Amino acid sequence: MERLQSSVVRTPPNSTVVQRRSKSYRQSYRSCLGAPSRLGLTPGLTARRLNSSRRALKSHVITEKVNPEHLALLVKTEWRLSYVTPLHQFRHTQLKRYSRQLSAFIAAEKQQGVAMEVEGSQSGFRVSFSVVQGLAATDDDAETVLIQIYSTPVFARQDEPQKSVWSGWLTCINGNPEYLESLPKGFTCLPLFGGSGAEVLTSLVKSWFQRTFDCCFGPLEINHTSLQWLAALWTNCHTESNLQHLKMIWTLPVVPPLQVTYTVNPQDAWELWMSVRKDRLERTEEEAEAGSIDIEEVVRFVQGLKSHFYRHFRLDLSAGNLNQVSTTLGSAKSSGKIKISNSRYMITTLTLLTECALLKMPI
Amino acid sequence: MDDSARRLLQRIMRRIPAQMLKPTLDKWGRLTAAQRQSMDFTESKWALTEKLLAICEENEMTVKHITELEMIHVIENPDHCMWYALQLMDPEEDVHSVELTQFKEQFKSHLRELIRHVSIKIKKHTDEAVWIRIAWGDSFSRPNHLKPTYVVHHLQTPYVFVTSLTSKLKPLLSQALVLSTRYQAIKDASLSGRKLTAIRDLLMRQYQQVFPTKYPSPLAENDQNASNILINKEQAELAASRHQKACEAFGDGMLPQLQSAVYKLETKFRDHTNKTMTEREEAFRCVVKFASTNLLESLRHCASSGIASTPGTSLLSSIPLKGRNYFVITDNSPGPSSQTRQPSN
Repeated sequence: MERLQSSVVRTPPNSTVVQRRSKSYRQSYRSCLGAPSRLGLTPGLTARRLNSSRRALKSHVITEKVNPEHLALLVKTEWRLSYVTPLHQFRHTQLKRYSRQLSAFIAAEKQQGVAMEVEGSQSGFRVSFSVVQGLAATDDDAETVLIQIYSTPVFARQDEPQKSVWSGWLTCINGNPEYLESLPKGFTCLPLFGGSGAEVLTSLVKSWFQRTFDCCFGPLEINHTSLQWLAALWTNCHTESNLQHLKMIWTLPVVPPLQVTYTVNPQDAWELWMSVRKDRLERTEEEAEAGSIDIEEVVRFVQGLKSHFYRHFRLDLSAGNLNQVSTTLGSAKSSGKIKISNSRYMITTLTLLTECALLKMPI
Repeated sequence: MDDSARRLLQRIMRRIPAQMLKPTLDKWGRLTAAQRQSMDFTESKWALTEKLLAICEENEMTVKHITELEMIHVIENPDHCMWYALQLMDPEEDVHSVELTQFKEQFKSHLRELIRHVSIKIKKHTDEAVWIRIAWGDSFSRPNHLKPTYVVHHLQTPYVFVTSLTSKLKPLLSQALVLSTRYQAIKDASLSGRKLTAIRDLLMRQYQQVFPTKYPSPLAENDQNASNILINKEQAELAASRHQKACEAFGDGMLPQLQSAVYKLETKFRDHTNKTMTEREEAFRCVVKFASTNLLESLRHCASSGIASTPGTSLLSSIPLKGRNYFVITDNSPGPSSQTRQPSN
């Protein structure tokens, strides 16, 4: 969990805050999934960390529902992800006040001597909070909040467009409904945070959120299961949008480290994926299952790719770490960076990431 | 000193690192003692460049002299451009009688016949390598010294290494090389990299090779760590045999520092668990790139640690075996273990 040293007197330290919250929660996220105990480690859960099956990637045409400017910003940037615990007393109606407060906070920190790498040491910052309407998938999801920080140079002309030096968003897409309903009143759950821009501004924004809404931020890595899901989900879309390639990057733990970039022709990858799906669809005869994808299929797909590799090079890629998956639809890195290049698949990708964030939260 | 010479000198000064300036200029030897004294090497590079420009004006130097300086620098530091290996094929009977002066004259005259405006500089380096710097012009314009091609040829071997060469000029250079070295053809050796020393060592097998032996015990003495005695006892023999096989496949000791290898695979997908794909007629197309700061050492470590099994027969051992780092693998091409390279003599 991230904490910033600050000379301002703070509200009670973290541990008691967590304590208080866990008493008031009626149900923790893990208990929703049927874990035996809330207190101890739940090793049995790791076999089912993520949803073992999910609805197939439907391309949601969200361009009509969402403000095109917001969409353009979301699509062209690579975001660094974190998870966020639920926010206390966050109101979507108070965004103007939050903008002013955050601006003041950043100015105060700068006054205290926190170094800002942003160009133009004379410039101030203007913060803007806005709601991105149209992304929320269910009624339980809170609306996505977009934060942008513009630099206001001291000698700016009236008509000069302000340069955006940092952007970030908080979102919850298709969050687990049981968990969301179990939250006590007064808490808003926006578990997924993405930021792009100077690192010092990211930490300032997080620090402000932490003190204003009593929440915690933490780094969200994308583990190899999620990366495999993304590889399969994106490959599934090849007929609708040309992938151009399916690229995976592994790192093998030798000295010096060996990086393997495995780029597959999209048509061939798609045929392999379809062959894996066909086997499974033949076995289950239910129609309702046809729309959803199982983790087994994903694993078999990636296993097929690995065994083709092994046949030629006698190197088992499982010995290494999957670091990155990218196609023209987007790219995901295990360090927690995501880029969604096509707005049609934003909802489904964000659903997967929301799930990861909810699972990583330490409650 | 004309404009192009000035620009060339400025570019060379930008490229040479500050600590190498004095030795390179001394080696060049075109400054008088007084001029050398007047260069204060503690000043900024920009100031030194201006001073050097003034000295060259004083000495009335031409582009020809400046290119000498560039060549000295490139010979000392060949690792900042991409090098591509070529191999000469089908030697004629008198290939062994080609010696340096003959090669120089023949190469210059052949290349000048093929292209009118070209500037050639040939220098023999200490380690039997002949370095050639070529600035290309065409029928209308003078040679462009800002985009030279460097060629390195080791006499008595069929290998040639070249830097930046456009596809238009490649046939001209190839023709000149073939005629002056008494071979009949030249082909691309599918080996490229930034470190000239690495690709040269790989191609000419100038690194420590290990040959298959029946008794692996001589290598068992290279022991790593004696942490747990019992585990070591169990694993010692296996580890030694893996290490031996890894060294047979990739070499021992210091290996040439190759940075990447690319395999373009166009083979059919064969997996007994997946019937549909195995029955598919078309090839499964993919491209695999291996990258590391020292690729051969990473691969050797993969083999000795067990991540790679049977290193001797995999495609990866083709890199040192065939001295290439670009491969196109199809179902028809022969397997990696059935083809060995002819040793060069």
